[in-house]
Amino acid sequence: MNAPKPASPPVLKLEDVSRHRAGRPAVSHLNLSLEAGQVLGLLGINGAGKSTTLAMIAGALVPDSGAVRLQGKDFLEYPELARQALGWLPESAPTWPELTLREHLEAHGRLRGLKGDNLKQARDAVVARLELKELERRLAGVLSQGQRQRLGLACALLHRPALLVLDEPANALDPVQVVALRNLLRELAAGGTAVILSTHQLGEVTAVCDRVAILHEGTLRYDAPLHADGHAALEKTFFDIAMAGRTQAA
Amino acid sequence: MTLLAVTRLELRRLFVRPLGWIIGALALAELGWRFALLLQIFLLNQVRLAALPDGPGYTDLVAVRMFSSFITGSPLPFGLIELALLLVPLLTMSTLASERSAGTLPLLFSSGLSASRILLGKYLAVLIWLVLWLALALAIPVSLAHGATLDWGKLAAAAMGTLLALAVLGAIGVACSAFASHPAVAAVAALMVGLGLYCINLGAQLAGVSNGFLNWLAMSTHQETLLRGLVSSMDVIWFVLATAVALLLGIQRLASDRGRG
Repeated sequence: MNAPKPASPPVLKLEDVSRHRAGRPAVSHLNLSLEAGQVLGLLGINGAGKSTTLAMIAGALVPDSGAVRLQGKDFLEYPELARQALGWLPESAPTWPELTLREHLEAHGRLRGLKGDNLKQARDAVVARLELKELERRLAGVLSQGQRQRLGLACALLHRPALLVLDEPANALDPVQVVALRNLLRELAAGGTAVILSTHQLGEVTAVCDRVAILHEGTLRYDAPLHADGHAALEKTFFDIAMAGRTQAA
Repeated sequence: MTLLAVTRLELRRLFVRPLGWIIGALALAELGWRFALLLQIFLLNQVRLAALPDGPGYTDLVAVRMFSSFITGSPLPFGLIELALLLVPLLTMSTLASERSAGTLPLLFSSGLSASRILLGKYLAVLIWLVLWLALALAIPVSLAHGATLDWGKLAAAAMGTLLALAVLGAIGVACSAFASHPAVAAVAALMVGLGLYCINLGAQLAGVSNGFLNWLAMSTHQETLLRGLVSSMDVIWFVLATAVALLLGIQRLASDRGRG
């Protein structure tokens, strides 16, 4: 009889993660895990701790306590893993204004360990997929916010990461681009990429996510799969959590 | 190697920004002017100097004096080191401060890069730019090598001293950029630290003290020895130490960025 195959670790696992910012707890004792192919919508009002959580997942911030595990390993101890397995689009998609879109992609590719033909193929593929060909030689400093957002997304996708972390990816995109983004996320999830999507817009979550987590005042208040008829229920849950906090404060 | 990826990125940023080209071109033009004046003075005194046994020649009076006003003792335009004190902070100010203000620094951290790799990668790019600048500046006096007798050993010692000084100033500039949240603040801080380190012993010298800690601490003390053609391991160690201290402080600050957020 064959021994049962050990289950592969989740793509992402947050274990009791806490982090202070500006002298107050921004995230407290957060536990969360994400499997390959899942799309998790991270919701919360302003200041709920979403961006801090995403920055810790992306390795840009170090947790005060707890561990962020990527494919079962604490990536502070395995920086190579973060380089290859993680793509991050921060809020407002920061760029180097003096470099062209193509130079951005090449720089990000090299930082992620791509080189030579692999880099060229990955660059051309992501340019074609996100329809960026005509912007390729344009400086990032002259791109519109929506175009910068697409550039940031291309940089995050370039090395085909196992985990994609997106902070407000639909910011400044027009309705056609929003639909294209949703299709892209569905396609990535179908290919096994795990996606975390932070947004203020409930519609964004119900359109592409199969699971939703709500953060409030740095703590996880809700984490459940999203049902097909879930928009109204999600809206009620979200407002209950957000307004309960305000009522208590009042 | 990711350190080289950072270097390549920073070099690209340095070469596409007009500031680097403007700094380089204006500095070379100014050095060309200084060279012409030094050469004119040399030619005016050539006959008198030729009569002196072991008198100074083209290397002492023109080639080496291109590097520093410190040993000229006359109101000529700045030498390369004095220019570097002013211009290197402008070159380095954006290395990390602009990454911080533009929000691109977290992107570098999320690529799995340690603070030391980010800072050393950027420093290497600055150093490459400075080496190119020094090579072009050196080409000015060397261009007359076919018509003059150059003391290559003395010129090499002076070039080495200048390169080491540029390495220290570059490290101070990158470290100040790691501490600052705005490039202009980084430039001012690097200028003040560089100037302070260069002439911290001025007071002691005016008081007639030519040794002691302040004289040891001053960059000009070690620079002058090398410009005179004397290569001492103690002077070289001073430059290496000063560069290492500046880089370590910068790395420390950058690492705390990730911790503090």
